[in-house]
Amino acid sequence: MALIILLPLAFSLLAWFMPSSLSRIVGLIGSGLALVWSVVQLCSFDPEATQHLDLGLRFVRFSLDSLGFTMVLLTNAVIFLIYLANFQRSIVKETRFTALTFLMQFGLIGVFTSSTILGFYIFWELTLLPVFLILYWFGTFEKQKALLQFFLYTLLGSLAMLLSVIGLMHYTGDQTYEALLAADLSQLGNTGILLMGGFLLAFAVKIPLFPFHTWQAETYTNAPTAGTMLLSALMLKMALFGLIKWVLPIFAGPAVDFWRWPIIVLGLIGIIYGAVVAIKQQDLKTLFAYASLSHLGLITAGIMLGDVATTKTAMLQIVNHSIVALGLFLAAGIIEQRLRTREIAALGGIAKVAPRFAFWFAVLTFVSLSVPFTAGFIGEFFLLKSLFSAHALTGILASSTLILGAVYMLRAYQDTMFGPTKIAVFADLHWSEWTVFAILSIAAIYLGLAPQCLTDFVGHSLLQLKP
Amino acid sequence: MAKDLTLIFILALPLIGFAINGVFGKKLPKVLVGGLATAAVFLAFLLALTLFNGLEGVQIVRLFEILHYDNFQINASFQIDALSVWMTLIITGIGSLIHLFSMGYMSHDEGYHKFFTYLNLFIFSMLLLVLGSNYFVLFFGWEGVGMCSYLLIGFHYNDAEKGIANSLAARKAFIMNRIGDAGLLLGLFMLIGQFGSLEYLEIGKMLQSNPALQGGAMFFITLCLFIAATGKSAQIPLFTWLPDAMAGPTPVSALIHAATMVTAGIYLTVRSNFLFELAPLTQNIILYVGLATTLVAAFMALRQNDIKKVLAYSTVSQLGLMFVALGFGTYTVALFHVTTHAFFKALLFLGSGSVIHGMHEEQDIRKMGGLAKLMPITHFTFLIGTMAIAGIPFLSGFYSKDEILAQALHHNPVVYVVLVLAVTLTAIYMFRLYFLTFHGTFRGTDALKAKVHESGLSMTLPLMVLAVLSVFGGLLNLPGLFFHGAAHWFDHYLSNGTFGLSSVHNAHLDFNTAMGLMIFASFIAIIVGFWAFRNYAQKGALAKSDEQMNAWETLSAKKLYIDEIYNAIFVQPLLKISQFLATVFDVQILRNGVYALADSILNTATQTRKWQNGFLSSYLFWMVLGLILFVSYYILKLTVWH
Repeated sequence: MALIILLPLAFSLLAWFMPSSLSRIVGLIGSGLALVWSVVQLCSFDPEATQHLDLGLRFVRFSLDSLGFTMVLLTNAVIFLIYLANFQRSIVKETRFTALTFLMQFGLIGVFTSSTILGFYIFWELTLLPVFLILYWFGTFEKQKALLQFFLYTLLGSLAMLLSVIGLMHYTGDQTYEALLAADLSQLGNTGILLMGGFLLAFAVKIPLFPFHTWQAETYTNAPTAGTMLLSALMLKMALFGLIKWVLPIFAGPAVDFWRWPIIVLGLIGIIYGAVVAIKQQDLKTLFAYASLSHLGLITAGIMLGDVATTKTAMLQIVNHSIVALGLFLAAGIIEQRLRTREIAALGGIAKVAPRFAFWFAVLTFVSLSVPFTAGFIGEFFLLKSLFSAHALTGILASSTLILGAVYMLRAYQDTMFGPTKIAVFADLHWSEWTVFAILSIAAIYLGLAPQCLTDFVGHSLLQLKP
Repeated sequence: MAKDLTLIFILALPLIGFAINGVFGKKLPKVLVGGLATAAVFLAFLLALTLFNGLEGVQIVRLFEILHYDNFQINASFQIDALSVWMTLIITGIGSLIHLFSMGYMSHDEGYHKFFTYLNLFIFSMLLLVLGSNYFVLFFGWEGVGMCSYLLIGFHYNDAEKGIANSLAARKAFIMNRIGDAGLLLGLFMLIGQFGSLEYLEIGKMLQSNPALQGGAMFFITLCLFIAATGKSAQIPLFTWLPDAMAGPTPVSALIHAATMVTAGIYLTVRSNFLFELAPLTQNIILYVGLATTLVAAFMALRQNDIKKVLAYSTVSQLGLMFVALGFGTYTVALFHVTTHAFFKALLFLGSGSVIHGMHEEQDIRKMGGLAKLMPITHFTFLIGTMAIAGIPFLSGFYSKDEILAQALHHNPVVYVVLVLAVTLTAIYMFRLYFLTFHGTFRGTDALKAKVHESGLSMTLPLMVLAVLSVFGGLLNLPGLFFHGAAHWFDHYLSNGTFGLSSVHNAHLDFNTAMGLMIFASFIAIIVGFWAFRNYAQKGALAKSDEQMNAWETLSAKKLYIDEIYNAIFVQPLLKISQFLATVFDVQILRNGVYALADSILNTATQTRKWQNGFLSSYLFWMVLGLILFVSYYILKLTVWH
């Protein structure tokens, strides 16, 4: 287990000192090793037991349960796929990028395995550094304002969370996960609501929830493709994880009851608002960013319901969202790399010149539309079902995602791939790209046919979280 | 072979065909690709026949658990009963004929293997839809056929002329279907809430044993299921996608948009008969929606000049007729019409495909005429299809339509009168289509006339088989006044072997009324036939251009401007809202609000700090470092506390 956590850190340090010619090889091998190692660990992992690890640090300790393990696996798989997807791009030849991505991986795994609230917070903040530097060094020239916005929002969220962490430690006098879980916070009354609010603000910015989302579209568009993938496929999952593992169980009681419906309503607004705004977007990446807002609204609303069954399907949908985000942003990145534009109006007829790309992009579009045989079909069905059972009108309104999703996704796909050919040259997929598409599609289909393997696995630790 | 194994093979065969053609199809020779796909479906048909032979009661085959959720579980399980086997026979039987036809029809298409891949996937999804033993598997197939329908309507997305129109039609179909799907989803949620199960049999038995469950919820559940049906089966208000769906290759129109997928809504209603029986209000809604659809669509078909569009509106109209039967609670009658309609409408569509193929992609009947001599087999089989749908005595459509008319007369004479009107219109537009296409003089160019040819055997053979079925399909369910012993075989077959149907009875009219109805209906069909012959074949009455039409003709040709109305009421406002939110609200209010905040912070910073170097980003970098120091400070402080 120590290796799971420390391997990315080691590679991150190594990457700083290696020649740039080795960068992408080290990236691929290092992330591959991390992935393989976590899979090996999975084989001997008992999902019903929690592994603990103490590295002798006073304030940061680690533990691994099936929920955290799922996220670690997701992280390692996504990082590997990001290296693979960008294999023929210049960005992976930069040692700085490789080092930062490994640092990011380290931070993420730290978030998913910390068993102290302070550790959770430190790693949460640590992930900000590599993301910020990747955007700063490799983003586009308009980045300054976008970065500022991203930063302001995150800063606001982080400060709020820091205050809550300090408050939590002050009131409970402890900071380990078990102690916090055992502590009865319901007697804190309004203070408890406020403390939870601090966490929620940080999460709402990161996910993002309406109306804290405006940094997202701009950051995504200005980030390099690899950065967008990191942000959307992994970084925002920290917030959902934080909700499931930390905030909801710890604050179970009046605080959660107080925040439940406000957050669900924000999620619901996000579902519809994101989808409607996505319809008229001109930039592919922005469009996918708003689509993401819509999808995550549903996941967040489902998680806030707080019951084990819904959370299990929310986990399925979290994984599915990573698949969709990786695939769609890769597609946008491929178009951008080949044509230097992402404007839908300037695109068209790509299917004719790049049939292989057209095929895989179509598959990912359908995965995003949650058609049968994909993970989203099951995930969306049950999330909507839970919302409907909890509050019929919420479920009905949320179901509009089925219709609106088809509107914006089909527009995005058809207007870029079909129609008159507006472009002359378009290199079809590189092997590294179609391999990623294929892996993503197989993962989505596998989870669509056997969702049980994932939901049962995380179910073990979710049941223990239940207060 | 054990039944469960047979069932698995029926499902697996098209899936195997899909997988092989999908992966290797590009490299295989065309004959092999088409042959494999056709053989897969035909074998499934043969297996379905053995199921049909050995049918006894209801048998459930549980394959595996998909997910257990809270206290109820979702299984991939299937149901072998009279209804599901009958639907399977239609899907695989008609399906294999249409596959065979496609081998000829698509022979010059570069997407040949892709076409058969999608077609097999469609058959698989459709089989899931009808064979599932619970609503979840149905929903699985339901969404699956929608996806296949999308892929196949937009199949020629690269066409130089019609590519964009094709893909727009596909998109429209998918989105409108999704509106219905959302209804199905909500219906399913309510079923879960009410019964804690999605299994047909469990729900049905719970309803029987516990009358307390029957309350007002039934209305909402059935209404949601019916909304789903209006989407898939193209009823008012969600019917406008079906005529546009004719953008797909003609075999697709025959298979998906006439014989099988569009009857999914009827299947859903028949399958859920025990729910609908408890919701008389929904039944009334179904009745009147079906009635309005059948009349409106028949009216629209009167002045369409695209051979496939006529058939498309005709399909909408015939589906409306089936819903009228469902509205009366006469499920077997509706399914009988589903069956005969599958025969003659598949025949008519394939016939039109043969015509289009022979006419080198010309679809406008104003440019046809006199094709009877040039394409004798197509002509003869098309004539049979026309007579069957128009209700000429003793052909299949005559019996199935007469059943619906008889039920209508029994339940509600006003409905009967409206139906007679719709049936008359059906005869009018069908005979108009037939005579304009096959009789009179050829109205196209001479160059084209020289090239017109009869289609090959792979196309004419399915036509002939379907023609035979269209003639004799009525024998399945002969009315009581002809043969007392063999009468109503189909009604008995379905009622005895399908849950819920044994307690539902169709009305039987007395001998004189029944006889009178039949004679009256035959009379109409024959009169209209003669009138159309004189008018179109002999006088050649036909508007050459849109300007020559009078008011009602324009209204019919323009489909009552429904598309335009929907566009103005739904599409444009949605786009406007989206535009407003995207450009004004999101950017100018939300984002610029944050910027304003940022600017004010920065201004303070620039005034108070001299070392500002002009690079905003480096400034931000220092902020990050500052933050980290800030955090570290607290960590140290906290550790000292402990």
